[in-house]
Amino acid sequence: MLLEEGRISRFQLTMLMVGFIFGTSVIVSPARSAGHDGWIASLIGVAEALLIAWVFCALANQFKDKTIVEINDLVFGRILGKGISLIFIWYLFHVSALILTVFSRFFATEIYLATPKTVILIGIVAVCASTVSRGIEVLARCSMVLVLLTVLIIINDVILAIPMTDIKNLLPILEIPTGKLLWAAHSAASFPFAETVAFTMIFAFVNNQKGRYIPVAIAILIGGLSLTMLVARNSLVLGPMESVYEYPTYMAVQMIDIGDILSRFEVVVAIFFIFSAFLKVSVLFYGTALGLSQVLNLRSYRPLIIPVGILMIIVALTNVGSSVELFSFIEKVFPIYAVPWLFGIPLITLIVAKLRKLPQTGGDQV
Amino acid sequence: MSALLLLGFGIVALIQIPGLVRKQWWRELTAFLVLWAAGLILSILLAVGVQLPQVTTIIGKLISGNGA
Repeated sequence: MLLEEGRISRFQLTMLMVGFIFGTSVIVSPARSAGHDGWIASLIGVAEALLIAWVFCALANQFKDKTIVEINDLVFGRILGKGISLIFIWYLFHVSALILTVFSRFFATEIYLATPKTVILIGIVAVCASTVSRGIEVLARCSMVLVLLTVLIIINDVILAIPMTDIKNLLPILEIPTGKLLWAAHSAASFPFAETVAFTMIFAFVNNQKGRYIPVAIAILIGGLSLTMLVARNSLVLGPMESVYEYPTYMAVQMIDIGDILSRFEVVVAIFFIFSAFLKVSVLFYGTALGLSQVLNLRSYRPLIIPVGILMIIVALTNVGSSVELFSFIEKVFPIYAVPWLFGIPLITLIVAKLRKLPQTGGDQV
Repeated sequence: MSALLLLGFGIVALIQIPGLVRKQWWRELTAFLVLWAAGLILSILLAVGVQLPQVTTIIGKLISGNGA
């Protein structure tokens, strides 16, 4: 019995992935540790993510109608396969909780100052749970509208900020040491560009049997270049002050003031942050619930949605002590922490599958 | 606060359990109950003011050696 009967097109996959890449990164810029060279680091990060995506897409192309949990079962056997799948599901769950933490902390400190974080979290998780329970098709259709709006808002914000920019803020170019630049690039790749590895839970539901790499590469390029544009805009507008602010994108848009008429655009940033965080949490939430039900051989993932959502809220509320700790984790620890999931599991699975000459003919299309 | 939590968790159980019992999906029911109970226990601990382990901070400390 199929756990998910919906199918999405390659275009919908691309759009969903762009929304996923935007995620929290529209607020927490990638490659912040590179200072005003962040845009270069971000571009290198996109290149690294394209390389990582090539590996997990090669795996998805080998097993076209299987999620990573089913692939692990086939490649490593039932017991080891389920163990590796559980480790993979932990990544989806933990990243989702991290996104929710960033989301709730942003809204609790910038917009809803008197609202408890629990209320904000219950609100977004309830919407995500409702979408996830309706399946991948509904999620993909949501992304078509929301991503288009988000891209339009990003372009609008960048154009309106042009009068506030100062090109001197980007100079001197490549001031930071190469090691630091590459670290910032890797941190941008691991959060958010290569997090698209979560889509190994979704590739199986793409109706077109053609290769998976092209839509993924297009999504990483659109998402990556849009975010790079934001990073460069933040540096151009805020200059050295960028590193002081917790949410530079929000501050940079707050500076927009054209003839005292067009101003206070920061709420628009908050709105598109809701869109993209919703898409990202939903994809990760869907992956967690579906993956867990595949590991446990359940007939539906729907009974797990509410309890998984509740656990996500609890972890999001308790996983860090302060925002400083959270951002320090994302910049300094996450690039190392994510390596087993970004490189390890997909690459080892691909190599073992090749060595065992899987999938064998008859069962799967190669 | 704990009473409100119990009410919330009770409603969730009331929505989910009857359907699963009717279809005799025992495995799904067990999985649901385990996760639901974990959520309930952790939420009540949180509501009565117990400091739960900070997962991300712990991972940060394990990886960087001296704290995130």
